[in-house]
Parts: sequence; C-alpha cells; structure tokens
Amino acid sequence: MGRFIVMRLLQTVVALVGIAMLIFTLVRVSGDPALMLATATSTAEDIQRIRVNLGLDKSIPEQFWIFTVNLVQGDLGDSLFKKKPVTGMIGAALPNSIKLVLPSWAIAMLGAVLLGVLGATRRDTIWDNGVKFLAILGQALPGFWVAIVAVYFFSVRWRLLPTSGLGGVDHYILPVATLAFFLLPGMMRLIRSSMMDVLDSEYIKMARIKGLPERIIIWKHALRNALIAPLTVAGMLFAGMITGAVIVETVFRWPGVGWILVEGVMARDFPLVQAITLLVAVLVLGINLLVDITYAYIDPQIRYQKT
Amino acid sequence: MQEKDSDSEITTEPVVSGLSRRARIVRKLTFIIPVIILSLIILVAIFADLAWLGLPDVRLAPYDPIEMSLPDRLMPPFWAEEGSTEHLLGTDKMGRDILSRLIFGARISLSVSLLVILITSAVGTFLGIIAGYLGGRTEAFLMRITDISMAFPPILVAMLLVVSMGPSFLTVVLAISLLGWAPYARLIRGETLRLREMDFVAQARIIGASPFRIMFRHIFPNVINPLIIIMTLQIGLLILTEAALSFLGVGIPPPAPSWGNMINDGRNLVDTAWWISTFPGIAIGLVVMSGNFLGDWLRDTMDPRLRQV
Repeated sequence: MGRFIVMRLLQTVVALVGIAMLIFTLVRVSGDPALMLATATSTAEDIQRIRVNLGLDKSIPEQFWIFTVNLVQGDLGDSLFKKKPVTGMIGAALPNSIKLVLPSWAIAMLGAVLLGVLGATRRDTIWDNGVKFLAILGQALPGFWVAIVAVYFFSVRWRLLPTSGLGGVDHYILPVATLAFFLLPGMMRLIRSSMMDVLDSEYIKMARIKGLPERIIIWKHALRNALIAPLTVAGMLFAGMITGAVIVETVFRWPGVGWILVEGVMARDFPLVQAITLLVAVLVLGINLLVDITYAYIDPQIRYQKT
Repeated sequence: MQEKDSDSEITTEPVVSGLSRRARIVRKLTFIIPVIILSLIILVAIFADLAWLGLPDVRLAPYDPIEMSLPDRLMPPFWAEEGSTEHLLGTDKMGRDILSRLIFGARISLSVSLLVILITSAVGTFLGIIAGYLGGRTEAFLMRITDISMAFPPILVAMLLVVSMGPSFLTVVLAISLLGWAPYARLIRGETLRLREMDFVAQARIIGASPFRIMFRHIFPNVINPLIIIMTLQIGLLILTEAALSFLGVGIPPPAPSWGNMINDGRNLVDTAWWISTFPGIAIGLVVMSGNFLGDWLRDTMDPRLRQV
C-alpha cells in the first residue's frame, strides 16, 4: 500500500507539471497578452514596455522557468486589473466559495440519497416516476436559467429573499438551493441505478431469506454498497460542482472565486485566470489521487496490478 | 453487430415484452416525441435562411436576427397586452425579434454540438480502442489522462482560451473538444477490453491480422452501438455547456443570437421583460430533454448493459 501511494503521488506531481505547462502554453502561444492590454492610443514603445514588465520579451522556455520558480515559491503574479497578488485575491474569495459549495453539496447529497433510494425501492410507482421526472427536468434546464427564474419569483415578484450578495441566512437560501438543484439530478440518477443493481444481488436475497427487516436491508446493507458507485464518477461530479459554483456565483454576485474568475475573464486578466485554473487543476489531481487510494483500500487487487 | 454475443439479446427481450400495454405505448412515445422535436429543430436550423444556397433573402425567420430596431424595443409576445403579431414572441432591448433570434440560435447551438461530437467521438474512440487493446503502460497512461480530463471543468478551459484568443465560434468548439473526448475514451476502452477476449479477435490474430487491423476492422464495428448511444446522450450536455459559456461571456460573442447570449441579455430585465430570457431557456430545455430521452431509448433498445453511462 505504501509503495502504491508513493507511486501515485509521483505520478500526480508529474501530471501537475504537465498541466502547468499546458496552461502556460494555452495562455501564451495563442495570442500576445501585451497586445490585448494595449489601448487604441498605445504606441509601439508602450506595447514593448508592457512586454518587458510582464517578462514577455524573454524566450518561451525562459518564461516557463521563471513561471515555475515563482510558482514553487507561491507567487502566481499580480492581477493586471487590480494590481494585487492573485494569491491574495483568491485567498480572500475562497472562503466565500466554500461557504456556498459545502451546504449545497451536503443538501444535494442528502436529497440524492433519499430520493435515489425512494426511486429504487419503489420502482415504477408514482414515487419513482416523480423522482425520474425531477431528474429529467433538473438535467435539461440550464442552471443559470433556473437561477434567474428563481430570482424573478422569490426576489422580484414576491420580495421574499435578497437578489444577490453576501449577508445573513436569507442571502444563502437562493444560491444554495439553485446550486443544490444543479448538483442533485446527476447524483440521484446514479444512486438510484446503483441501488437497483445492489438490490438485485445475491447477498440482498440472502439477507431477506435470513429475515432481516427491510429497513435494515435497504439502509444498511444495500446503501453502503450503492454509495461506492458515485466514487467512480467523483471526478465528473467535481467538474459539475465547479461549473455550477461559477454560474451561481455569477448570477447572485456572490464574491467567491467563480465571481472573480468571471470578472478576470472580462478584464482579460490572464495571471488571475491562470492562477485559478491551476488551483482547480491541483484540486482535480488531488481528488483523482484520493479516489485511487480509496479504491486500492477497498479492492486490494488494484494495489498490485498497476503500480 | 455481426459477432455480437447472444446473451445481450436474451436479456433485452424480456425487459421490453414484460411491459404492460400502457408502458409500451409510453416507451414508444419517449422515442417518437424527441425524434419529432429534434427533427423540427434541425430543419428550422437548416432553413433559418437560405444564404448557404446563395439566397440570403429567403428565410424562415421573420426578421434578421441581428438588425436592431429601437422603436420596437421590449415588445411583449403577441398574446400579452400591447403585444402584436408582428413579433410573435416579442422583441429584446435592442428591438430584435426574439423568434428570429431563437431560430438562428438553433443553428449556432446545433452546429457547435455537431462539430464537437464529430471531433471528440473520433479522438475518444481512437484512444479508447488503443488503450483497451494494447493495455499495459499505454493504457495506464491514457486512462490517467482521461480521468483528469473528465474531472476538469470545460468552462475553465474556455476561459483560458478566451483570455488568450478572444471569444469566437472556434474558441468554443476548441474549448469543449479539448476535454470532451474523455467520456468516449473511457467507454470505448471498457468495450474493447470485453471484446478483446472474444473468439473472433483470437481468430483474427491466428490468421495473422496486424494489431491495427484487428483494432479498426474487427473491434471498431462492434463498438458502434455504444458509440451512437453516447453521441446522442452528449447532445444535451453540449447544448448546455455552450449555453453556459455564452451566458458567462466566454462563448459565442454577441450580437450573434446564441441561446445562452439571449438568456444573458434578458437577465437584468426579468421583472419588466420576462420573455427575453424565458423562451431561449425553454428552447434549451426542450432540445436537451429530447436528446436525453432519445439517448436513453437507444440505450435501452440497443445495449441495456450500458445503463450506468
């Protein structure tokens, strides 16, 4: 197990360097950032000065080396727009994002388990059809549209909740609810179908023959195994969560990482966008690593198979 | 489909014939209705105008989708008070006809999705077959990249590209395709792993077929079914992604009438002009739902093993 974890860690570091290079190239090769920063009145010398300031006059490998050295020291450059270190900006926004994502995720997961089990245990009843209908609707309607419609009814028309921004508990209701609604259908479908598979398996029949109460069979024996399925798509769920958070933060002007990211894109603030992308890349790799290790823990075959 | 193992057929049959009469009709409807909706929208997208035939003045859309007409701004749909049948679904804050923009928007959304599907399915299938058939380090390496790509939000890639290249149709297609091949690779690799152990592959190897020939002449025809299913299921996802990108300002640049752009246009006007954002939202919902229903139907009919996809 120890050897497996070390190997995986090494692979993760290699992957991180690869992604950093990819991000670095994507930002630079396709266009000259200095030209984008230049205004209509900039002279050729102005543009050259911007290039020198950003270190863009050096060769690409040289730039990458400087970028890497700074990165290792935790310096991701200054925002072009706000003239502040981007790490500080992200650090200030991150807690707000976490405050939004964590409750949404918890509510979505809880709802997904309850509704997924409900659908799986009462197959083809009105309950199951209701659950399926909710999943179909949730997966078809764009999250940002649902958010706008919710703002219209709850904030504009009925004046029950604030439209945007940070604040007390009432400021959380709409953003958290929309994000949870965005995350719920995918998880629910997954739990429903894996629960259905588990309920068909031999050991559940065995448990029934033994005469265990249905309640224990479903919530203890079956659910535990059904919950492994979401692990296989943890990466996809994570990508969905980031997308959802960016959209919800934009609609509700929630001062989190997603919001400063969208602002950064509008201002073409490439150090900021680059830094946030790198942060997400680290999270993505971390999640993949965790999933791998959990798998190896659950299934010893993997540990010896491909180290 | 030749050389298909027989037990998947045995498992399909009882599932379908075991349904009641009513359930069977519902099942048929989940195929017919999406097909009608999708065909209609495809036809509308093709005949929005006939500029591609050299006839720019012949068009299905009542108005030019980009031309502004300030006197007509913010007109409600025809059934509302002050609405008129001149603009059936009303106009936006620049006086552009919503219906015409919806019609031309279908063209944008569908062509982005189609292009992305073509690129990603080709790349994903190629890598998936290679990973599944060759195995070993190649497989480990390719699957690692696949896992990372699946966990990376396409929105971020689009943002990076927009910051460096500026928003454009090409940026959107590129941004979504850059990661979009991963689900294909994952699924096709799984299928290839299963097919690799089958007798017809062993027989091909015995008569001396090269690995390349086995992969693309023998294995590829057998993954076409799952491939079609996943392509259909991707339509909805791609339409939603494109809309989200446009909504965030990193998709199709305005004034082009993308559905996501239209929702964004109406975003701050929901209290006075609800129709600007509502209709494109419904259009997206309809197309995505149709794609998902059709994909589910195809999967249940062609390959019920893939229920987890």
